[in-house]
Amino acid sequence: MIRTMRRVRVMGPRPALQSALRVLQDLGSVHLASPPRLPALNPSPATRREQRLVRQLRTLVADAETAGALLSVLPAPPIAAVPERAPWAAWARQARRLRRSAEEIRDRKHVLEEERALLARYREMLDAFSGLFEAGHIPASARAYHIILRPGQSAVVEPLRQALAEALDSAYELRTRTLSSGETALLLLVPVARTARVERLLAESGVQEVPLPAGYERATAAEVLPRMRLRLQALPALIDEVESERKARAATAAAELPPMLAAAQDTISRLEAEGLAASTRSAFVIEGWIPAPDLPPLRTALRERIGPEITVEELPSGQDLDAPVVLQNPKLFRPFQLLVEMMPLPTYGSIDPTPFVAVFFPVFFGLMLGDVGYGLVLLALGVLLHRRSRPETPLRAIAQIAVICSMFTILFGVLFGELFGDVGRHLFGLRPLVLDREEPKDIVSFLILCVGIGGVHVLLGLVLGVFNAFHGHRKQALGRGLSAVMILLIVVALLAAVRLLPHQLLTPAVIILLVAFPVLVVAEGIVAPVELLATMGNILSYARIMALGTASVMLAVVANRLAGALGSVVVGAIFALLFHLVNFALGLFSPTVHALRLHYVEFFGRFYSPGGVRYRPFTHWRTH
Amino acid sequence: MQIFWITLSAALAIAIPALATAWAQSRIGPAAAASLAEKPELSTTVIVMLAIPETMSILGFVVAMFIMLRAGG
Repeated sequence: MIRTMRRVRVMGPRPALQSALRVLQDLGSVHLASPPRLPALNPSPATRREQRLVRQLRTLVADAETAGALLSVLPAPPIAAVPERAPWAAWARQARRLRRSAEEIRDRKHVLEEERALLARYREMLDAFSGLFEAGHIPASARAYHIILRPGQSAVVEPLRQALAEALDSAYELRTRTLSSGETALLLLVPVARTARVERLLAESGVQEVPLPAGYERATAAEVLPRMRLRLQALPALIDEVESERKARAATAAAELPPMLAAAQDTISRLEAEGLAASTRSAFVIEGWIPAPDLPPLRTALRERIGPEITVEELPSGQDLDAPVVLQNPKLFRPFQLLVEMMPLPTYGSIDPTPFVAVFFPVFFGLMLGDVGYGLVLLALGVLLHRRSRPETPLRAIAQIAVICSMFTILFGVLFGELFGDVGRHLFGLRPLVLDREEPKDIVSFLILCVGIGGVHVLLGLVLGVFNAFHGHRKQALGRGLSAVMILLIVVALLAAVRLLPHQLLTPAVIILLVAFPVLVVAEGIVAPVELLATMGNILSYARIMALGTASVMLAVVANRLAGALGSVVVGAIFALLFHLVNFALGLFSPTVHALRLHYVEFFGRFYSPGGVRYRPFTHWRTH
Repeated sequence: MQIFWITLSAALAIAIPALATAWAQSRIGPAAAASLAEKPELSTTVIVMLAIPETMSILGFVVAMFIMLRAGG
């Protein structure tokens, strides 16, 4: 259900505005509304000093958040008390210093890590030719070229060798080694006098020399290797040193950042809230929305902390179009609010569909997946996710939805006699209690069941639409009600025609349909017949439950048959396991998307009125 | 010969809607990706939009099943 809200007006002497805002912020239950439009009231635009302060605080927040992110400072719990007069200038300097220091540490670590990666790449190449370097085979008059070819590029080696032979006769040495990465390292030694010609040849062959890292350019190849080895040995310690420095700085920042962030964010939101107040020379007025049960505590807190000069007036209802929306449901249904909140919120005063989603979503999911084995795996995943998630987070809601859906999957698995497809039948003698989804005759029954459930779901949507439209749009409510009745009559007529219901019902049902049709056109306009047809199409759309369910069980059966069809039991079992994994992944994704679609398109389309304003109470900054 | 036509009909009943679904999703996909780049909060709408053309495949599957079941009966 949607929580009842009260529109309140808080008034008092102008000097008490700041104190009143502090009380409201401490209570954290008032959703501030636009400034009231009353004669003699002026909006309270921020002064230049306040505007400057907001700009400075935003810079402080940006500095503090960047420093926190770079130093990996974990979010701290909310700060209980924020000082009345904060040392903003000192805090701004401190945040700037922390940010610069964090950036400097990040850059230093980055440079060292890049150097390590570069040297590791060179070392492998130089190691490949180390025998040549260390034996002193390279004369001082030779110029060494180090080249690395990507995998698949090694075809250029032979043409290059031929071109070198033509250009230099035998006055060159070309060695190649394959590196662990699959790349090919080339070492080319040529007389210093012939380098210009060689470089032209290299360019023509499309290969480039890898220049030695900075600091090694003037060294000979024989000198480079030992120096690189030494540097590579030293680098991990240097990186650890920088990391220790980061941790030490993070420990300091973890104590310094949260108070300044909390104070700055709270002050920014208080200054912004001031802009939502209106005032005369001597009084201020603030308006907002508050959940009905929180109204008495608001009155008490304002009276106790400021005095009797502050009044709280409850405004009459009726102008509640901009009232914010808070969904409030019993504990069992609450996780499903997540699925409703994925859509734009319902308008205030309309119907909250959460309880209906909580009932139908797991049923649809269970009908589609319907397998004891897959249900148990999903239950295990849901419990694991539940343990690893924090309360009141979307992840926790997903875990709870997974657990509920897994129970329905197990229940329908028992009814359909399925455990990883037909494994349950062969190993444990599991038998279908209601429907056998592998049997052709039962597939038709399953289809009828799914479309029947669809009919109930869509009719429920139409009935809710009547309730939703009843207060504001009576004509629309009549049209929705008539549509519901006509759909029922069409179903009765069809069932009577195929003699599933007494045949005598056919004629009265058709006559009532013919009478109701023009009334429907008058109530809802010329589009009503199209709407009616669309509604019938929506009901047929529930056939997807049968289609996805049958596909799921067929894939599971195919997976099991693979185990015996591949000759080797081990290979077959591995293939079957992989196939079941794929089927399980599909079995999580498809039923979720299609159950959601059935709700958002087929069900919500009958009654849901989106456009509600999210409830954002004026409160203290929270780290999560 | 009859089995050939029945099988072909069932195959066409699923194949043609599947191609139509693929074409529709190929048009929705890039538009959805572009929309998500600008407004990530549209992800739910995008998922639903992508699931809408699948109705064709699913109904095609149902028809194919009926063709096969009728032939079997």
